[in-house]
Amino acid sequence: MDRKTKETMVFTAFRGCALLVVLALIVLVGYIASGGLEKLSLDFLTEFPRRANTEGGIYPAIVGTFYLMLIVLGVSVPIGIMSAVYLVEYEQRSVMGRVFKLAVYNLAGVPSIVYGLLGLGIFVVFLGFGASLLSAGLTLSIMVLPLMISAAREAIAAVPQSVCEASFAMGATKWQTIWHHVLPYALPGIFTGIILSISRAAGETAPLMLTGVAVSLRSLPDGVLDSFMALPYHIYFMATQSSNLQATRPIQYATALVLLLLVLGMNLVAIVLRKRYRDKYKW
Amino acid sequence: MNMTTAIHTEDLHVFFEKNHALKGVNMDIEKNGITSVIGPSGCGKSTFIRCINRMNDLIPGCSVKGKVMVDGQDVNSDDVDVVDVRRRIGMVFQKPNPFPKSIYENVAYAPRLHGVLEDKGGKMRRRRHTKQEMDRIVEHSLRRAALWEEVKDRLEKSGTSLSGGQQQRLCIARTLAIDPEIILFDEPCSALDPIATAKIEDLLVDLKKDYTVVIVTHSMQQAARISDRTAFFYLGDLIEMGETKQIFERPGEELTEQYITGRMG
Repeated sequence: MDRKTKETMVFTAFRGCALLVVLALIVLVGYIASGGLEKLSLDFLTEFPRRANTEGGIYPAIVGTFYLMLIVLGVSVPIGIMSAVYLVEYEQRSVMGRVFKLAVYNLAGVPSIVYGLLGLGIFVVFLGFGASLLSAGLTLSIMVLPLMISAAREAIAAVPQSVCEASFAMGATKWQTIWHHVLPYALPGIFTGIILSISRAAGETAPLMLTGVAVSLRSLPDGVLDSFMALPYHIYFMATQSSNLQATRPIQYATALVLLLLVLGMNLVAIVLRKRYRDKYKW
Repeated sequence: MNMTTAIHTEDLHVFFEKNHALKGVNMDIEKNGITSVIGPSGCGKSTFIRCINRMNDLIPGCSVKGKVMVDGQDVNSDDVDVVDVRRRIGMVFQKPNPFPKSIYENVAYAPRLHGVLEDKGGKMRRRRHTKQEMDRIVEHSLRRAALWEEVKDRLEKSGTSLSGGQQQRLCIARTLAIDPEIILFDEPCSALDPIATAKIEDLLVDLKKDYTVVIVTHSMQQAARISDRTAFFYLGDLIEMGETKQIFERPGEELTEQYITGRMG
């Protein structure tokens, strides 16, 4: 085989693998859209479910998942960023820092059902939040923290030391340097972490089952201590426990489609913000 | 010889973990002059000037012993605030390192951090600069760094969009904006071409009217061209220090002569 053929073959193999990913996404979205588009309507999005979820819409599930995302954002983003700053700027080389890093890696590998059990034990029972939005939101927050911390840590560590040195040399304190330089320059990478985190949180089912998701609701949750519906659990329920699996198939597809769109929409916002900050600071 | 001392070090030692990087340096650096520090790589010259504004504090495992007196005060003493030290002693680094912000923001950064110290009925208080005050500081600093004419129409452009030499002059302007007494230069021209280097050298000579300048350099020609006094370091020891002319024409030590004639590198 001559060199040219070899080059072409290798190139084709690389491109093939990359295309495979795109293909998988297209098939996935196409498959779900083809099954669910007919059912998708404004009524489906804004109505409460009726007759044991076999009729009506999924409004409370959309709202529930949206609330969960908000709780996860509010809890895991600040905690994630602050621990990442601590790790990189204060404990880079120390034993404490290494222990912390190891803990984060291991936390990332824990299966989500185990987080569910943890949430059940700590938030639902021990702290007495009950089966509620708060319990589920906090459980999901802990689950995505490793993702958030790793992404923020990499972004923060990538800020050039020379720029921080310049800031110190002008009499800035460590905190001023972190606030004016490290965090702003790390923001694009931090947004990547946020994208990954909320997507993961929005799609999780197992932890919700143990921490307060409801099969069906007649009203929206009034506060964080109320039970809630969520899109992924709704899909699971409709696909496995529903009284008439065949008849509700369009509902299952349409719900999956809504979940996908919700996650993609949130990601889009984060991507736009990331782009804005990338353009703001030019290296 | 008649000279006013700006910086005086006494038995200055620096250790990085077990490595003894600076071995008891005694030196007087004259006010409103350019002092260049030369010597082969790893001789401790950068370590030495980083002691003056306490940048070595940032390096884990580094310890400094001995005195660094600036204005009769030891910068390492407990009651001295490191922020004050670095406001009085500016530093420009080897690689131009402007912030990825606008040219204006690069210069305004430090003044904004420190504010204006004002006497209000006998009490010293800090307040923010007004827009006009800040504009004046930015323009004055950029003029002083011989950069104003080149950038006055694009102050909102990113500092990183400038050429290497302009970036380095921006870094100098940024340092001048804190109105220091002493400016330390750590091989400021090693990443620049000869034309940009010449501009920086002219600037340094001009700056010594108002500031005390200490420059670490790899280039002996540069030391000979611009500095009033020269210090030669070798393996952590200050071997010799004197008038630049004397060091280059009649070095007192064998090692100095070997280095400046290129027999040791």
